Amino acid sequence: MPILDQEIADLVEGRLDLDRVRELQSEAKDPDRRERVIRAWQARVPWKDTIELCLQEGLFIVKHGPQRIVMCACGHEFCEYRTNWKEHALVYERDPQDGEVYAPGNSPDADWMVLREFYCPGCAMLLDTEGVPKGYPFIFNFLPFFPDDDASR
Amino acid sequence: MNVSPKAIPLRIDPSPLKTMLARRRAAFDKHGVYLERCPHKESNPIKFEVFYTKLSQYINNARDLAKQVAASPEMREMGESVLGLYTPEGDAVCLSPGLMVHVRTMSRAIKWMIDNDYETEVGIRPGDIFFNNDPYIGGGHAPDQQVIIPLFRDGTLIGWAGGMSHVSEVGAVEPGGMGISMKTRFHEGLYLPCTKIGENDLLRKDIEILIDRSVRASVWWLLDTRAKLAGVKLIRDAVNSLMDEYGEQYFLEVSEEYIEDTRRATVDKIRRVLYPGRYRDVGWRGVDQPELKTFLHAPVETTIRADGTLFIDTDGLSSAGTHPVQATLPLFEGILFNSLIQHVFYDTRYNEGTAMVLDYYVPAGSACNPPDIYHATALWGPAFAGGIACNQSISRAYYANGYLEEVHASNGQVNAVIAGGIDLFGRKFAGWNMEMCASGMFATAFMDGLDTAIAEFNAEGDSGDAEVWETALPLTYIGRSIRVDGGGPGRYRGGSGLYSTYLTPDVPKLELGSFGGAPIFTAPGLMGGYPAPVPTVYVVRNTNVRELISRRDPLPNAEGDPARPNVLTMVRGDAEIVKGGNYIARPIEPFSVYVQPGGDGSGFGDVLLRDPSAVKRDLDNGVISARMAGEVYGVAWDTEGNVDPDATQAKRRAIRRRRLERAIPAVDYKRRAREQLLAGELPAVAKDLYKDILNKPGRFRDEYYAFWQLPAGFEVR
Repeated sequence: MPILDQEIADLVEGRLDLDRVRELQSEAKDPDRRERVIRAWQARVPWKDTIELCLQEGLFIVKHGPQRIVMCACGHEFCEYRTNWKEHALVYERDPQDGEVYAPGNSPDADWMVLREFYCPGCAMLLDTEGVPKGYPFIFNFLPFFPDDDASR
Repeated sequence: MNVSPKAIPLRIDPSPLKTMLARRRAAFDKHGVYLERCPHKESNPIKFEVFYTKLSQYINNARDLAKQVAASPEMREMGESVLGLYTPEGDAVCLSPGLMVHVRTMSRAIKWMIDNDYETEVGIRPGDIFFNNDPYIGGGHAPDQQVIIPLFRDGTLIGWAGGMSHVSEVGAVEPGGMGISMKTRFHEGLYLPCTKIGENDLLRKDIEILIDRSVRASVWWLLDTRAKLAGVKLIRDAVNSLMDEYGEQYFLEVSEEYIEDTRRATVDKIRRVLYPGRYRDVGWRGVDQPELKTFLHAPVETTIRADGTLFIDTDGLSSAGTHPVQATLPLFEGILFNSLIQHVFYDTRYNEGTAMVLDYYVPAGSACNPPDIYHATALWGPAFAGGIACNQSISRAYYANGYLEEVHASNGQVNAVIAGGIDLFGRKFAGWNMEMCASGMFATAFMDGLDTAIAEFNAEGDSGDAEVWETALPLTYIGRSIRVDGGGPGRYRGGSGLYSTYLTPDVPKLELGSFGGAPIFTAPGLMGGYPAPVPTVYVVRNTNVRELISRRDPLPNAEGDPARPNVLTMVRGDAEIVKGGNYIARPIEPFSVYVQPGGDGSGFGDVLLRDPSAVKRDLDNGVISARMAGEVYGVAWDTEGNVDPDATQAKRRAIRRRRLERAIPAVDYKRRAREQLLAGELPAVAKDLYKDILNKPGRFRDEYYAFWQLPAGFEVR
């Protein structure tokens, strides 16, 4: 059964009935889903720039004048999309042994790994975590290939 | 593309197998397709599908039969097997459900035999039975055991049938076939590389004697071999039956068409559902032993091309070493198939055609492509981590296209008890159990990961009954519970895995351990979710359990507060805490207590977006601790213990303020971290990691230097 606009909005919100989600997993994928999910988000965000791609939870690539930039749902502008948005985030390096998130008996020693948390400077949303050894570069998770932009490949 | 089907050899081809295989490879290299056309599908698609359904059902039946014959719980009950049909050149046509890792490993073994002149120097005759458990030929490690038979029709070889299962006792230095002390191939037990173990449909007695005298408890190896043989013989019968019904020519031609049809369907699926782009995620593994601490880096760059093909680049992968946490190239390839078939190609056929859309680079000499066959491969390690990283990237590609129902975080290091000895009846025993097949499931973009639900390496994973395991390995379960705070926190939390507590019996001989991993995060969170915690093993010896039992005092049958687990507060004794679970099997006394989590899933999204009522539900169910509910999820309670919405909002605002106060701009973070790097202020294990992975020229090294703006002559000191 084709997915309805309201169901797409519910899926984005995390409210869609799980039986219906299960049907979506089993059915052939609707080919215009990307555009419809973008429309659902466009109606929710408090800004007018045109969403071109949902990059990840909370982050979008939007058309901003002549550029494509990464923008948070709150409206915070990160950077041109071919740059890793983490370079423009707030970073907290957590000692996994600090006892805040994990019981110390169940977390790495900082000699092995630290936990980097990347926040949006605008709304403090936790956008990514990286469990990495000290000295590890930020991971650039996703560089989309836009059909009209050969430079992104 | 001008490719005539006639350019592709076969039908009932009288050429030597080696010639046929060479022609097939050359044709694919030249044209990039298996067949130009699928005339049977085009002319009669209904017949094409009905035939495949029959073939598939026959192969599924063969696997079910094999399960009935098997001795080991993992083959009998836990889905640790796969059976399949192959073309004369060894290309996979149709496989049963089961271990998707091995979709192509038996194909590799068949091709290896062809390449190594088995047809002329060993002989490939009707009724021959071949066995392989050499992972450098095709497989994952010594426990991955394959039984392969040639299929003949009127004296002409027309294909192969193969069956593979995991057999958990192989005569290695530790019981159970997978142990952290296995440093070279020569610690890993008995290997039979593509060995003819039977003729005229009969197993050779001398080979069975060899096996019986080379492993601790041979019943699983010997009977599971018979189980696979029963299964592949059923496939042989099915092939003859289908040829009788449909004709030999149709059978052989349509088998090739299924491969090409799968290739096309796979390309089409990628183009339809995954957004083109360059994706990067990183997996980690490690070894934590007193004499060896090694960090293993498994970076995966997945390029999804607009033409529907994939390229996986693992430049920067750690080197192979003198430890078991590494994998062969066939296994690395198998792990990628495991990830992709379960995550993307679950609604297409899977066979050789699946492999044709995937290209990859795995550095020679790395921990997923060791320089020689002497490197141990018992624990796969970075290959599994790479598969997880690939899956994370696939989730990002689904997300970009709006298919949130396919987006999920990850599962990490799993852990199992390994044990061997002599049981209370005087029988030799050895093996592992499969609590890890009830790991916590990854969180998704629409719901929490299920608790005690899955194994990422085994699509049908099931932990099995405690009573069955108590029969196989005489440990007494005193508890099987859900690990508290096991799932990685997030808007949707990861599922928690099993937390199993064992009492050691009074038997003549018992060695006990677990393979585990280093104390690191191995299940990364996705899009703001947190990683799953480290699995920690507790071993308590010289206990007062006899006293507790005689006084009818409670035993620690569940975890309790993860900060002060019951096993440490309710039992007196000499306790070892093994974070990560690298615990070499060793003798252990009766009435010791052994605790082991199986594995957990990571979280998705920001914890502060989690529905407070879901937090309360988890707290009420004992799945999370009060600390997690209040401090991580920021939920506040009223005087009756219900969610206080206003106080929760205020608490979450305060957490957000604290985030902004203590985080620093990335540019400042990088400046500080760079100074530490230049000053050599890195922990020893991290230094060793970087010395290895930066020692090799390549993309990763170049980007590392560029990221930190390091001078050309910089070296980690």
